[in-house]
Amino acid sequence: MIRIARAIPEAKRNPWDRIRRGARTLRRFVRARKNIPLFLSPALVLMLFLVVYPILQTLYLSFLTPAGEFAGLSNYSEILARKDIIDVDGFPRLPPLGALVHNVIWIAIHLPLSMFSGLALAIILRDVKGSSLVKSIVFLGMVTPLIVGGVILRFIFTKGVGVVTAFFSAIGVEQLGRTWTGLPDTALFALIFGSVWLWTGFSMIVYSAGLATIPKEYYEAAKIDGAGPFKTFRRITFPLLKPLNIVVITMTVLYDLKIFDIVFVATFGGPRKASTVLAFEMWLQAFQFSRFNSAAVIATLLTLLTLVVTIPMIRYTVNR
Amino acid sequence: MESIIAVLVLIAIITSASSLWYGLTVASDVSSLTSSVADLAGSVADLTTSVAGLATSVADFKTTTAADLAQIADDLAEIADRVTKVEGALTPTLTVVGPWSGAEMDGFLPILDRFETLSGINVRYKVQRAEDLQTLLPAQFAAGTTPGDVIFMWGWWIGQEAQNGHVLEVTDLIDEADFLGGTFDQVTIDDKIYGGAYTGKVKPGFWYRKSFFEANSLTATTVNSTWAEFLALLNDIKAVPGIIDPIASGDAVGWPLSDITEHFLITFGGAQLQYDLISGAANWTSDPVRGIFEDRLVPLLQGNFSDPIEWTTAVDEWWQGDYGLYFMGSWITGMVDNATDLGIIPLPGAEALVLPADYFFIPTYSENQEAAKELFQFLISEEAQRLQVEQGGHLATNINVNLDFYPAADRMVREFIQDYAIAPDLDDTIGGEFQTTFWDQLKGLWVDPTPAVLDAVLTAIDAVAP
Repeated sequence: MIRIARAIPEAKRNPWDRIRRGARTLRRFVRARKNIPLFLSPALVLMLFLVVYPILQTLYLSFLTPAGEFAGLSNYSEILARKDIIDVDGFPRLPPLGALVHNVIWIAIHLPLSMFSGLALAIILRDVKGSSLVKSIVFLGMVTPLIVGGVILRFIFTKGVGVVTAFFSAIGVEQLGRTWTGLPDTALFALIFGSVWLWTGFSMIVYSAGLATIPKEYYEAAKIDGAGPFKTFRRITFPLLKPLNIVVITMTVLYDLKIFDIVFVATFGGPRKASTVLAFEMWLQAFQFSRFNSAAVIATLLTLLTLVVTIPMIRYTVNR
Repeated sequence: MESIIAVLVLIAIITSASSLWYGLTVASDVSSLTSSVADLAGSVADLTTSVAGLATSVADFKTTTAADLAQIADDLAEIADRVTKVEGALTPTLTVVGPWSGAEMDGFLPILDRFETLSGINVRYKVQRAEDLQTLLPAQFAAGTTPGDVIFMWGWWIGQEAQNGHVLEVTDLIDEADFLGGTFDQVTIDDKIYGGAYTGKVKPGFWYRKSFFEANSLTATTVNSTWAEFLALLNDIKAVPGIIDPIASGDAVGWPLSDITEHFLITFGGAQLQYDLISGAANWTSDPVRGIFEDRLVPLLQGNFSDPIEWTTAVDEWWQGDYGLYFMGSWITGMVDNATDLGIIPLPGAEALVLPADYFFIPTYSENQEAAKELFQFLISEEAQRLQVEQGGHLATNINVNLDFYPAADRMVREFIQDYAIAPDLDDTIGGEFQTTFWDQLKGLWVDPTPAVLDAVLTAIDAVAP
């Protein structure tokens, strides 16, 4: 009998017990957390006014005409129809392809390059004496203000001044010996490659921190078992760094989506819109052309793109 | 005998009596003198006492007065301090926002100092570029505030904001007869003027180094030369050893290229074409405009102009002989070691030149409008502009400034432009999306001057033109 009673779930034996227990749990929960709203309220109020309200106001603005009348989705359709935003006629081809496509290209090139170069540097420099000095030098790009980085980029890719153009001229590739930021075909790529230099320090530092947490015994065991470097990386290092990959990918994509400074300084989005990006177009619409509704549309699109990236990251973090 | 004796006795008596009398008199006098001396001694003693008292009084007085004077001085200082504060509160401090920093700011501040001396109004100067103000001001104006009482800004932007009610009308403060023709076109809306024109910088044509030309036996063409002679000069420059390209193309956000383009449009289409493009009476895809690009500019871009180079770097490279010519505004006189070595080559047949002024305005939200108007009038005056042109690198828009006040290089420029009509700056007048597009498209044309790109460039510019 006792055995049978144990086999029956407790709640099924007496539903009222379950309710009482639930009520008790709820009371405990509320009692234990009754001060939480009080403590959170300053931050919540600030967020309400400084984050939530501007977002809602921007969203509202994006549906209005400059005269303040409701415009439906016409602002969105107008913006998305602009060649400044999407221009994929004859694709695949070189830029200009529109700001949205440029952002995608930026992510497609910049993300793997900066991620893997950071990872490679972290692994190579892990047990090297004096590696902190090298890491500091690599990390300099990360702490350099992007405005300054943009100015440096401009010179690096200028004919007769920069090292990149000098290199290509020296090896006889005259087309790449010209000023990259001045040519529609190369301007976007100059900025992307430049941003790899500026951003690699971030992934290197994150991966270095991750590598430091992997016990050395794992590698010793792998060595005893006869695993080579590639297998060790594939079976030990990479899986254990997986949580960090999420961080690096998310942060890099967000960085790529909001990129503005180096575009503004190095190319001003040109020539012929060949290096423009969404954030720069938003600035142009708002502060160059005084079209705040159009700017709000681009800001909203940019926010949606950002959410597409951040929501999976948040879900992943919560699930862990 | 008795008589004699009697006489003698009488004489004796008389003598004795006299002596006695005299003695008594003397005694009396001595007594009196003694008394007087005693009195005198008493008086001297009194006097000494009085003097001593006086000395004490003087000493007391001196001590008291010094303390009092010190107190009075303190009180006066405090009063003066309060008066200064009250005066400061009553006298407005104007804030001028302008683009000049470094040496250029050093040249501008004496003009503001002079205004302070003349008016008693305090002036504070803040550096902010027009590009930054363009972002800052709309938000400030929307909130009904302003970062300055007098702000230097693009002419087109002033005109635009005047229509939005953010700019004070200043028509009554200006006598247009005192200025170069067309100076206020950019800041005039419906016959009302909203901005002032400070000094300006002309874009007279291609600059060359006289010493470079002499060293390489090159002869500068003039406005009266033919197009073929100009092309021949470019070929001669190309043949100079070490030359990269005949003409350096400066690049900021795109404006040096736009200046070159405007010089071609004005020279081969006339100043009226410039006005028509500004007003929208002419199209960018029309034959006259396309013809200038196809027949004049684009052929030159193929092999004569360098790729766009950061404009200050371009100045250095041109100056050291990597290039023969460089198109730039007249502020270049302040950027080279020896401005007297500069010469100007306009395009053959040029009749008009662009002379953009440094425009400024008073925001509607200035709390010191009357004082700001005083400064406004001073900045457009002969005196202020004379003081500025004396510093070099500036040309007065006020025609009353005598040529004698210009440094040699600027005088050469000023004399040079006297034979030309003045046209407004195309992209500065239109501004907005047109300006950004114009700059951007020209940069594309410069590096890829092909017919297909020219078509796309003209179409893109035309799409955003007035």
